[in-house]
Amino acid sequence: MKQIVGVADMKVSNNPGESIITYSLGSCIGLVIYDPAVKVGGILHYMLPDSSIDRQKAAARPYMFADSGIPRLFKTAYQLGAAKQRMRVYVAGGAEILDQQGFFNIGKRNYMALKKMFFKNKVMITSQDVGGNVNRTVRIEIATGDIYVKTSGSGEVKI
Amino acid sequence: MISFQTLVAEVKNLKPIPAVAGKLLAVADHPDSAMADIAKVIQYDPVITAGVLRTCNSAYFGMKHPVESIKDAVNLLGIDQVIEVALVRSGSQVLGGSQKGYGMDEGDMWKYSVSSAVLAKQVAVRLGLKGKNTIFTAALVKDMGKIVLEKYVADASGKIADLVENNHFSFQEAEKKALGIDHAELGAMIAKMWKFSPKMVNIIRHHHLSDETKIADKQIAAVYLADCLCMMLGTGVGADGLSYRFKDQVMKQLGISAVDMSMIIAEFGINMQEVETLLQMA
Repeated sequence: MKQIVGVADMKVSNNPGESIITYSLGSCIGLVIYDPAVKVGGILHYMLPDSSIDRQKAAARPYMFADSGIPRLFKTAYQLGAAKQRMRVYVAGGAEILDQQGFFNIGKRNYMALKKMFFKNKVMITSQDVGGNVNRTVRIEIATGDIYVKTSGSGEVKI
Repeated sequence: MISFQTLVAEVKNLKPIPAVAGKLLAVADHPDSAMADIAKVIQYDPVITAGVLRTCNSAYFGMKHPVESIKDAVNLLGIDQVIEVALVRSGSQVLGGSQKGYGMDEGDMWKYSVSSAVLAKQVAVRLGLKGKNTIFTAALVKDMGKIVLEKYVADASGKIADLVENNHFSFQEAEKKALGIDHAELGAMIAKMWKFSPKMVNIIRHHHLSDETKIADKQIAAVYLADCLCMMLGTGVGADGLSYRFKDQVMKQLGISAVDMSMIIAEFGINMQEVETLLQMA
């Protein structure tokens, strides 16, 4: 069974028969976490760094923003028995258009928001594929924790 | 390089966008048009009329009584919604399908086109721009040059990739260098052959703003911005990825701050249901 994570969406699973996938990340970030001891994994697909621009929308769609989505991803995994110190963390996306600078660079700001939260909460990124000008699709298999990333126009690669 | 004659022949082979789209735009963005004029244009095209009625009767709109005429549809949904449905119906006949040269599977270009049209409308409404139906439609069809260019892009994929990855070309600049024409120019040529309005031809031609003097035209700037936002959101983006140029000056020209940009993205996130509905019309 394939669970699809839409844009501004999140899925967490401990069903070994499942894989979770999110398509076409662009400047959005696909944050993948996995605890191999209990085989719990999940993906969050957020669009923007900071929910303070619109609290109402953040309440309606918390997975749209890094600051409201990331804690929910981890907490949902903890509820299924995952533990922070065992968590493998993979980050994909955050791409940018050529010459996209400063505050207009949403891809970079999305990534920086995540880095800031991870630094504060002492979370380490295991590996990542971020930035550049490519569009990525990312998938995790719950049984093994294997992560695959596909860049549009080329094949899927195992991380 | 592709010869002009070859391209003309290819364009003549395309199934064109139904004429109703052009006629509809001509009345829709004219301030003196009455609702009845608009309904009249649509109802003379049976395929589009059937499509509009089917969409209006879909579960999404939750109508209690069946919508049986374009006049009913206009009364129930409002003229803007009906125009949008008719335009999307017209576009889907051309923009569906796959464009392998751009690494786009079946439906990818359609998804991208509808998303950028919805974003362009959001930008137009937010900035109070005139001609929002023209902006919506231009954003919807701006990439139609890719439909013809894709097989040439496939043939020259090595050269184009080298230009983009190693020589700092944008994808559009690489198309131009490798093939002698880029998808925006070709799209404008198609639009001209299909007798789109000069304004529409102009927006399609300049939707990547390779000629920066065009920034002064707010409709072009709005379609350009919507395209950038759509690339960032990633839906339906092909192998060309985000390899186009971002121009800060556009934001200044339109009076858009980075916060505004985030707000437009957030609003789109909430409106994605609308995109899904429009997509299901194809």
